[in-house]
Amino acid sequence: MEKRIGVYICACGGNISDYVDIEKVKESITGENAVLLAKTTMFACGDANQKDMDSDIRKNDLNGIVVASCSPKLHLSTFRAVSERAGLNKYNYVHANIREQASWAHSDDKPGATEKAILLVKAAIAKARHASSLEPIKIKSKKSVAVIGAGIAGIKAAQALSAMGDKVYLIEKESKIGGNLLNINRVNPESETGEEIVKRLSKEIENEENITLLTGHRITSGSGNIGDFVLTLKGNNNPGEDNFPEKEINVGSVLVATGFESYSPLTGEYGYGQLPGVVTLAQFNKLLKGQNGMSFVAFGKEVKSVAFIYCVGSREIKGDNKYCSRYCCSAAIQSALDLSERFPDSDIYHLTRGVRSYGKQELLYKEANRRGDLFIQFPDKEPPVIEEKDDKIIIKVKDILSGKRELEAETDIVVLVTGMVPVQDDNTGSIFKLPRGRDKFYNEIHMKLRPVETAIDGVTIAGACQGPKNASESVNSALAAAAKSHSLVSTGELELEPIVAYVDEDKCTWCDECSKACPFNAISVIEMFQKSIARINKSTCKGCGMCLPVCPTDAIELISFTNKEIEDMIDVLSQ
Amino acid sequence: MAKIDRKFSKELKKYGAFDFTSCYNCGNCTAVCSLATKDEAFPRELVRLSALGVKEEIESSLKPWSCYYCGECSSLCPQSADPGELMMSLRRWLTARYDWTGLSGLLYKSVPVLVGAMLLMVAAVILFANYKQFNVKEIMHFGHLFEMYAIATVFLLILLPNILRMWYLTVIRPGKNPPFTKYFKSAGVLFLHMFTQKRTLGCDDNQRRWFEHFILVIGYLTLLMMTVLLGWMGTENIFVIVAGYLVSAIVFIVTADFVKERIKAKKELNRHSRLKKLSRHSRPSDWLFVIWLFLMGLTAFAVRLFVDLDIINNNLWIYLIHLTVLVQWALIIVPFGKWTHFMYRSFSMYFQSLITENNKGS
Repeated sequence: MEKRIGVYICACGGNISDYVDIEKVKESITGENAVLLAKTTMFACGDANQKDMDSDIRKNDLNGIVVASCSPKLHLSTFRAVSERAGLNKYNYVHANIREQASWAHSDDKPGATEKAILLVKAAIAKARHASSLEPIKIKSKKSVAVIGAGIAGIKAAQALSAMGDKVYLIEKESKIGGNLLNINRVNPESETGEEIVKRLSKEIENEENITLLTGHRITSGSGNIGDFVLTLKGNNNPGEDNFPEKEINVGSVLVATGFESYSPLTGEYGYGQLPGVVTLAQFNKLLKGQNGMSFVAFGKEVKSVAFIYCVGSREIKGDNKYCSRYCCSAAIQSALDLSERFPDSDIYHLTRGVRSYGKQELLYKEANRRGDLFIQFPDKEPPVIEEKDDKIIIKVKDILSGKRELEAETDIVVLVTGMVPVQDDNTGSIFKLPRGRDKFYNEIHMKLRPVETAIDGVTIAGACQGPKNASESVNSALAAAAKSHSLVSTGELELEPIVAYVDEDKCTWCDECSKACPFNAISVIEMFQKSIARINKSTCKGCGMCLPVCPTDAIELISFTNKEIEDMIDVLSQ
Repeated sequence: MAKIDRKFSKELKKYGAFDFTSCYNCGNCTAVCSLATKDEAFPRELVRLSALGVKEEIESSLKPWSCYYCGECSSLCPQSADPGELMMSLRRWLTARYDWTGLSGLLYKSVPVLVGAMLLMVAAVILFANYKQFNVKEIMHFGHLFEMYAIATVFLLILLPNILRMWYLTVIRPGKNPPFTKYFKSAGVLFLHMFTQKRTLGCDDNQRRWFEHFILVIGYLTLLMMTVLLGWMGTENIFVIVAGYLVSAIVFIVTADFVKERIKAKKELNRHSRLKKLSRHSRPSDWLFVIWLFLMGLTAFAVRLFVDLDIINNNLWIYLIHLTVLVQWALIIVPFGKWTHFMYRSFSMYFQSLITENNKGS
């Protein structure tokens, strides 16, 4: 079909036209092969120009559009939408960036910037000549979601999905639900304990028809892609039965909420594992919970004073855990409040590196201060030293607030306020190839803009498996992930981007290079025409192009970025 | 290495300190204090040391005496930790530490003990009068002797040893041994501050109030000297008698005006201050000294008047009241009460100048 291309060159209110002579750009492309009309405009993205484009497309029956303006990150979708409104398939639109790549980059060389802009626009026109209409790939999606991990995030996500009508498999490797929440005494600011919250939630999901609870189950393998994942589970709650039957479930989306593990202090870290009386926060909470008498008795003595050491395993100066675990300051203060409520005469020390009791949790800090807890901030590089003397533990600490005075305090128990670390057993992560950040927690695509999606289509993340979060933050992210997973399965059908790779069966000799290069596991081998050839899974392929250059026989092409298109563009640019 | 003592903050609260443990060390109090300097910063530092309970350091600090409690810090404290009152409590606590008898601390912390001691003095005077069969001449003669001996004894047995203890705790124990000659060179500082209290001007620029206070100090001191040394009450010397009346009159007028101004200022402060409770924590013993000083002057005046009107023989009670007030003042209020603050403040300036000059020298 004959190409009829319209070109629009944007002044960007001077951002472009101050350095690039856009009239000259227009002149030099007028008369180019297949260019039917060329226009300049003050703001291509403005309403007036969008309406102009619309009527130009309809009037002249244009089937290719080029806008030379800012970065496609900003307005590619704007102009694709204009094409669609005018009845033209959006893949006939090509974007040329003459702001970031010409006017801004070469503001010191106006003729040079103009010359480069002309070439960029011509290259875009060359690509537009090949542009053709594409239809999104449509695939069926199972109307079900697997939620992995039944901590507070997993449970709340399962409830939300169930309420929206999706079938949910809630998979938990332990024999009961609740996860880390079970170890938390009082979840501030309410007076409910972690156990009570879990009990309530457990009762709530018990009768939900949409939720299938699979406690004591591990995932042994996973395959498939967005809309159609297959997970194999194995029950491990009957230790006597080795041959517990495997179970297979088929879901449209996977929501990962595998939580965190508490940092476990090294032997000798602040005397941990060496001195009796040095415990982690979780161990201390258990100790406190178990007290029935009039006085606090532990380690064979009456406990009259307790010292909390903050940031153990978090914000490390030397170690790998550079991050702040967010919840621990407030959790430690809450435990201290629980202690002083139960045993009001306790002497409580908080050895901190600056208290981060953000938001409403600040009230806890204030209350602890009011009750006379002593907060001592020590220098980051000079942590407290723990020694044993007779029956007591001696803490030596430098106090920043009194000019780094060296102080000594006697205490009965030292509580190491340990932070969060990623779950060590990375079964789920390795099955789904979930990317991890530098801190080893699972990574979202964009912390602010796509906070619960992963690079793996159809797999969302929620809660502390993504990074340290307290209970309410975990629930926030769980509900977001549930909404996202639901949006993938709700209609039973998914539309995927059609820009994917395809294989020329004649040329392919199956050398396996492409499948090794594929970061998304989208390439497999099939037998066809009496030989092995590569097959690309359209619903997993992201169109990244990694497989193209490694193919020795040039058998793979990427839709809308074919060799012919790229070569034509390069020809123009090298003129 | 200083040892943290959590009981200290509880003890300090018995001396009146309010909620100072809620301090979050923002330092507003130090920033706003007109007496704090870069080298001598307070009250935040002392609030912190008090929360930590490092007793030895607090004991050796002269900073509490540098504060004249204008209250600015307390009214601006975002945590309502009342740093001004903490400084006051530290002064009370230090007074108790300096006092070797331990009575100061007892009288500060317990109102019943204070009232009991005062009543004991009343009983002693009545018993004594009874023993002398209410003979006016003998009682007045004894009273005059008592004035002299009591003041000398209190000075030698209580005040002098306490000053020496203060000197030991703040100068000697921290190892700041100034050379011997400095003690003479700095003596001027001691007397300057003892008689003028000129440092208050740095805290409160009300010159009138300072001047009145100065007149009162001199006035009461003169009155005391006239009674004790010149025997104003019993003398026949017409010059002494008239001078005594004159000084009394001045003292009463200035006192009345001073109190009036004080009440006005306090009302003003309360209206502007977020912290309405300012000065609410003043201990009864803080006011005793002033009231008793006034009562003493008033009763002395009345006794002299009774003598001159020749009605004293039939009205011995007025002298007994005067004697009671005197005994209470000399045996309880001066050695163990607020009056000592005045003394310690002056000595603190003196010791401070010894130490700073010493530092300059080395």
